[in-house]
Formats: sequence, C-alpha cells, structure tokens
Amino acid sequence: MDTLLGDDILDMIEIKNLGFSYQEDGVALSDVSFNVEKGEWLTILGHNGSGKSTLSKLLVGLLRPSSGTITVDGQVLGEESVYDIRKKIGIVFQNPDNQFVGVTVKDDIAFGLENLQIPRDEMVKRIDEYANRVDMADFLEKEPQALSGGQKQRVAIAGILAMKTDVIIFDEATSMLDPKGRKTILKYIQKLNEEGVTVITITHDMRESVLSDRILVLKNGEVLKIGPTKDILLDKETLESSNLELLLPLEVMHTLEQKNITHPKLKEFLWQLSLNT
Amino acid sequence: MAIKFEHVSFQYKSIDNKGYLALDDVNVVIENTGEFITLIGETGSGKSTLVQHMNALLTPSKGSMNILGVKISSTAKENKDVQFNPIRKQVGLVFQFPEYQLFEETVEKDIMFGPKNFGVSESEAKKRAREAINIVGLDDSYLSRSPFNLSGGEKKRVSIAGILAMEPDILILDEPTSGLDPRGRDALLEVFYQIHTSLNKTVLIITHDMNTVYEYAKRVLVMREGALVYDGDPVKLFSRKNIDNWNLDVPDIIQLKDALESNFHLDMSGTIRNKKALLKRLEEVLS
Repeated sequence: MDTLLGDDILDMIEIKNLGFSYQEDGVALSDVSFNVEKGEWLTILGHNGSGKSTLSKLLVGLLRPSSGTITVDGQVLGEESVYDIRKKIGIVFQNPDNQFVGVTVKDDIAFGLENLQIPRDEMVKRIDEYANRVDMADFLEKEPQALSGGQKQRVAIAGILAMKTDVIIFDEATSMLDPKGRKTILKYIQKLNEEGVTVITITHDMRESVLSDRILVLKNGEVLKIGPTKDILLDKETLESSNLELLLPLEVMHTLEQKNITHPKLKEFLWQLSLNT
Repeated sequence: MAIKFEHVSFQYKSIDNKGYLALDDVNVVIENTGEFITLIGETGSGKSTLVQHMNALLTPSKGSMNILGVKISSTAKENKDVQFNPIRKQVGLVFQFPEYQLFEETVEKDIMFGPKNFGVSESEAKKRAREAINIVGLDDSYLSRSPFNLSGGEKKRVSIAGILAMEPDILILDEPTSGLDPRGRDALLEVFYQIHTSLNKTVLIITHDMNTVYEYAKRVLVMREGALVYDGDPVKLFSRKNIDNWNLDVPDIIQLKDALESNFHLDMSGTIRNKKALLKRLEEVLS
C-alpha cells in the first residue's frame, strides 16, 4: 500500500544520525539512529557518561542537536515544532527535588496543565483523576517537604499523565529512591505502558529493563547494540564492555553453560527468576 | 575510644512548632578502628540525621554522646566548652552527592582545602593530596585537572579524597554509590574496603543497596521512624521475620540461594555471601 495516512505511522519516535557536542567536553553523542514504535517500551542502558541523559534532553528539545534529526509522531523536532512536541513527550527526571515546582501537590500537578491552557473545570477533574492514579489523592494539599522521594516522583508522574502525553521518558527516575519507592514507580511504569503509553526508561539498573520490549545499549555516545530485551539481557560481552552487569540469575546461567553443566529445567527457572527482580 | 550514643533523640523544629522527631532514643557504640558498617532504612527514617550527630554537626535534643572522648549533651550551656573542630577532623563525613561541593580550580587544591582548614601546612597538605588521590584509585595526573571536567564517579572519588586527606579515624559516607553504574559502584566499594582493611579504619556507609550490605558489611544498623531497630550481623538480619517486619529488600544472592534450595533441593547451606562463592558451590553440587 502506498497511501500515506497519519494513522499508518508505526513509529512514535524516529531518530536519524543524531549527534551532539558540548562546547567544553566535546562529543557526547555521535551518529545515533533508532526508532521507538507506538506503545513500545524501550530501555536505554548506558554507563555514566555514555550520553544517555544528553539523549533524553535532545528528545524533549532542551538541547538542540549538532547534527541529525528527531521525528516525533511524524513531526520533525525543530524550533517551531518544539512546543507541539512537548505536548507529546513528558519526562520524569532523576532528582525528585529538582522537579517539584508547585507549593502543594495540587499546584505541582496543575503546573503543566496551566501551560497547556486547559480550562479550569477540566483541570480540576484531571488533577483528581491522576493524583488518584498514583495513589497521592490524600496528599493534594501537602507541601513537598512533607513527602518522601518516591512520593515526589509519583507527583511528577501524575503531572505528566495529566497532560496526556503519548510518550513518557523516565531518566534514571528511580535511582535516588529507596527499594520500596523504586518498586512502586516501576509498577506505575508497567501499568502505563500496558495502557498504551510509549515508554522510554533510561537507566544503568538492569532490574529496570527486564519488563521492556527492547534494549538499546549506549557506549561512549554511540549505539553499541539494540535488540529484543531477552537477547541483550543475556549478552554478557556487550553489557560488561559498557560497565554494566548481567542480572545475577543470568550470570549463573552463563557460568554454568561455560562449564558445560546442564540441569533439566534450571535454565528456564533462572530466566524466570531474572524477570522477577 | 569510640563514638557512644546514650538515649539520643533529635527533634527538627518546623514552622508550625509541632516539631518532628527524627531520632528517637538511639543507643549505639561505634569503635574507632576496624569496623565496616552499613546503615540502612527507608527514606526519612533518620539515617542522615544519625550520621550528622556522629561528627557533631547536629547535637542531641535529648540524651548525650561521647565522641572520641569528648562529651556532648543536649544543652548549649553544657556544650559551651566543647571543641567541635577536632571532632569534625577525626570523624570524616562525606555527604550525599559530594561532587556538588567541589569548587576549586584544580583537584589538588580541592583536596588540600580540608586539611589546610584544620591548620595543616601547605607542603604537608600537598603530600596528603597525592596520597589521598592514589588511595581512591586515581593517578597523580588528576591533581592538576579541573574537578568540573571529571565524570560522576571521578568527582565522587575526588571529594572522598578531600575527606581522607584530613586523616580521619572514622570515615562516614552518605549513599556514596547512588547514581553510579555497576562498574563504578563496585570500584568505589572496593576503595572503601581497602581503606578499611589496609588502614584499619572504621568505615560506615549509608546505602539502599542490600547487595552491598550482605556482601561487605561486618555489622549492619537498621533505622525505622527515627529508632535504631537492629544492630548486628548482616546474615541474621535477612531472616524471614525481619524481612517481613521491616519491609527489607532481599539481597540477590539470598533470593537466588533460597529459590535454588526450595525448587531444586540443592544444598546451598553455609556462608555464601558473594557471586564467586555462589558459583563455586553450584559447580560443586551440580557436577
């Protein structure tokens, strides 16, 4: 079929030959190309300094590429389209304290909606709905200092959900949280994705990648590998060469294979176990 | 000589004057040599408040502390003759995200800042900077570089070197590995372990990573709602009862060990605290 209808676009994000250099520190990204399908969950894995945060800032138009293009839902990201595109992509950052802009939880969720000039009635409705979704409805009048890091991240997520963006990027959004906070946020991410939101998680924590559809590994500003999650999770060489690690059950699986130790059912068991971390 | 807390409570003042009890009747003793301790607990449980008492950045609202022979109580009147500077030199505290506190034009100057502040001569401070940068696993060439062009892991090392150069007896680090990739995390933990073993210093680390607790610590402290609820052996900590009561994350090694035992009836008993030991045992029981 040669017809080109908007609905036929399968890629939510298409990135072609993207490059970026900082004035002082030099090249941060070079010749990065990949796509993210609508409704997909893509993990971007990379070591400290691999360029993963630079990539997320480029995606939401906080930085301008030195070369290459970013296309979001059929629209090329540029000076004129950036405001349209920000309605489509939301981002949750690493530090919960740096992104809480409201005086109260309610204000904070309202902030993005005010920017979008959503009518008041609709705004109130959305604040209630999305505060509920992240189990923060009882905290609407609370100030940020009364909240834990995990709770603040949940408010940040509610604020972005309320804007009904098609894509949400989580840029190391769980790395500063305690184990309980981390698990709760991961559950919300999983649920959002199941409901059709396109998700990009940026992390070096392997446990965050197991539920995603595909993994992209960044190394020194370049795409080292991209593939189905299972393939990358088992790829010891790729992971270790970029300062990452195999999940423990998969490390065990790998070692046993190397030593030619076979055991009925153990392999499948270790795989299942790695998905539950 | 040690750090000894007796019935230490600490109340933060809030605008509405209600106050917030951040430490609730804490009793603990930390030896000044040879300990490797991890401190764990949920966000807001009082971990950072506790360690800020250990070098007297905060003083108790109730109770008293003896820090390396200096007695500190809960009233300003009784504390008026206390010399706080020596305490802060002897108990080195590295805050969370210390890299945000680097400010000098070179790494060397940044490391020298602390010791010079405590009256160490220029030439001695220079000597210590060189030693400290090597202890944290960076070579001399880093000394002339700007701290702002380093990676996250390197910045953390430089800021730790700055504390080491003050030659503290006790080194306390608030979530030193958060934000580091797995290799950076392992390398830094190895540095702390080296400081502990080769210099025989007491090291105390606040962490959310239960793998660190299980693999490295000789002793673990658990904080919950301002109270110290556990002080002891990391192996015993991760029993079923404690995990349920305190909502603990189970270390990967224990999860895997338990799963293998209950599903495949493999003998995984005894002390298996790291990946190497686990793999060795599996090889034995499977081949």
